[in-house]
Amino acid sequence: MKSFVRDTVGITGKELKQLRRDPVSLILTIMFPILLIGIFIVIVSAFRATTHNVPIVVADLDGSPASNELLNKLTQSRFVHVTQLVQTEDQAYQAVANGQAIGAVVIPQGFGVDLAAGDAFVIVSTDNSKLTSSQFVTEAVNEGAQEIVTQATQEGGVSFGLKLAPIEVITRPVSGRPPTGDPILPGFLGMIAILGAFDDIVNAISRERERGTFPRLALSPVSLFAVYSGKMSATVVLTILRTALMLLIFTLYGLVIRGSLILIFLTTILIAIFTLSLGLTISARIRGTATLTVLEIAMTFPLFSLAGTTTSPLLLAPGGTAIANSLPWTYGNDALRRLIYLGSGFNAIAGDLTILLVSSLILLPIAILLSKRTM
Amino acid sequence: MSIAGFLDDSIAVAENEFRLFRRNRSAILISLVVLPFFFTASLGAGRGGAGTTYYPTANIPIAWVDNDNSLASIRLWHSLATSHDFRNLIEGYTEQGALAELGTKRIYAVIVVPKGFQNDLENGYQARLILYTDDSEPGVSDQIQATLTTYTQNFDPNVDVQPYLSQLQRQSVAGVGIVTKGAIFAGFNVGLTTVLAIVQIFAGFYEIAGGMSREREDGTYARLLVSPIPIGSIMLGKTLFDVLLSVIRTFTVLAISVYGYGARPNTDILTLLSLSLIIALVTMGIGFVVAALKVGQRAVVIIEFFLILFLFAFSGLIIDSNLLVGASQVISYSLPFTYAFDALKRTILLGRPLLSLTFDLEYMIGSIVATYGLAFVLLHFSRERLIK
Repeated sequence: MKSFVRDTVGITGKELKQLRRDPVSLILTIMFPILLIGIFIVIVSAFRATTHNVPIVVADLDGSPASNELLNKLTQSRFVHVTQLVQTEDQAYQAVANGQAIGAVVIPQGFGVDLAAGDAFVIVSTDNSKLTSSQFVTEAVNEGAQEIVTQATQEGGVSFGLKLAPIEVITRPVSGRPPTGDPILPGFLGMIAILGAFDDIVNAISRERERGTFPRLALSPVSLFAVYSGKMSATVVLTILRTALMLLIFTLYGLVIRGSLILIFLTTILIAIFTLSLGLTISARIRGTATLTVLEIAMTFPLFSLAGTTTSPLLLAPGGTAIANSLPWTYGNDALRRLIYLGSGFNAIAGDLTILLVSSLILLPIAILLSKRTM
Repeated sequence: MSIAGFLDDSIAVAENEFRLFRRNRSAILISLVVLPFFFTASLGAGRGGAGTTYYPTANIPIAWVDNDNSLASIRLWHSLATSHDFRNLIEGYTEQGALAELGTKRIYAVIVVPKGFQNDLENGYQARLILYTDDSEPGVSDQIQATLTTYTQNFDPNVDVQPYLSQLQRQSVAGVGIVTKGAIFAGFNVGLTTVLAIVQIFAGFYEIAGGMSREREDGTYARLLVSPIPIGSIMLGKTLFDVLLSVIRTFTVLAISVYGYGARPNTDILTLLSLSLIIALVTMGIGFVVAALKVGQRAVVIIEFFLILFLFAFSGLIIDSNLLVGASQVISYSLPFTYAFDALKRTILLGRPLLSLTFDLEYMIGSIVATYGLAFVLLHFSRERLIK
């Protein structure tokens, strides 16, 4: 037992020393978290911009005070920018079809009269191939219409015979955070653990095989179990470092981490160990470092959507939910979200951690067996 | 050298590439099976097939707490529980009990009807519903709130059965109907525009840049350079090889999408193939430039990963380019892939003829010429450096 621990520590030290000597891998370990967060910041800052200036054209076919009021609301909207006022409905649609505008708003003749009767409508045509921008156009018109109705109701005397939407829905997130919180950051932490562990496999096994040093290691008096254990320990050390870096970035970004830090580290370590076990199994068959890395990357992108990183598995199509539920990473990401956002304790995530642990325990012996066979 | 000789050399290089490819089972598997199948199937699993409709909130367990116990609140419950969107409304919770369950994965939201709900409606005031959500599930809060709002903003407490509202009517504000025009696309079709391009970028970049790095590391690139084959032929040969693989990948993605997930692209196969190949050529051009920089195989894969992440952020995949701000927008508009994704959306979704997308095409073809030209110059002037 003593020699096993000594060998494990020896192999761990060797792995870390090798990483230190390999600038590409070292940079990669640090760059992954920074790049992911950088992309997140770019996207979030775009969504949170105070103005969006989505180009729209407006055809006011009514010319009444009510339609003017709606036009004013649209020109003042923070979502859209009225680039042109056109005379006819067709011109408005044509502008969207030609790509001159992302949306066209048509205020039909009789809008003012109909509004007074509580039965008005406007037509919004959008280029829905612009997925996010088209939503902003509808949002702007909705907001403008709501403001007109509110204004009319408040002014009483000039009431158009309208009323506000009868029921208002007030949302209170259980975490107490604002509803526009950053729900994907814990998932990013999970992804970093996965990517990092995959990368460790490439460094730890495939590269040694390519250089021919793995058979030498296997022929040394160190047991194969101690070799794997050492490589796994190195991954644990690196996962702790990566997790610490991510948590530091989260904190600098202003994210409040509610749960126990120890449990967060434990979860990322278990995610990494499971990924490592899977990587070891795959690397027994696919031996080239580059091929393995390509496969790793190919797996990463679907995992963003299927393992609960960016979207909850609850919102996927039934097939997607079933796949998500069969992936141990989903449970790791789930545990991270509960820890970071809700401050859940060990009992709440014990099931998630058990699934990760059991999956690793099933895969590890398979990986060692396959490695022995293909050595 | 004559054109015929140049072409002969190019074909010889392409044949050599195919021979090497045929002998590499992992490469065949990853390039022609794993990448097209994995990406397309993941899209289908996540978004559902193009012809299927699913209701994201339908099966999410949500507690219903009625503190008003009035006719209006019962009617609201009835309209929600009988809808497609809220099939898993659970009654019988107290407010405190439901809130205690939130965050335990037994329920993901609690809808509370406060006391005085009916009274407010009767007196013409705006009534309120309180929605507590487990916001540790990304997107769930927003989705439940948006769906619930569509039912409540047109709710009529005076009728037993709420009239069916079309999607268009649901977007309306009370008193002002908002009639939306413009085609609505199935999530799968939207995703197909991304998958078709990403598969080509992923595979094309690795096959060119990774392939040349591998040859350099194995020492076969040096032998190729000392042969009488000119650099141009080497580039053309490798391009021909990868173009053929790109054609196979395009058909694989389309076959899985159309026959497996019911996708109906709004354009013809020739347009799809042309766009797909243009994207592949842009990627190959960049691949040649990277290969000329003498980077190792592993570095190539890492660059590829960063490239794809970069594209997700800046090419209008997650957020439209026009919504990006400052430097991000400049980066976005200078990337040829931004125009590639735009062209794919306009053809696959809107059915625009390919030749009408003049600017997109000009920019992409210009990028192909620029990257191939740059790669040629770099490869030509770094012959010695690359074989050391």
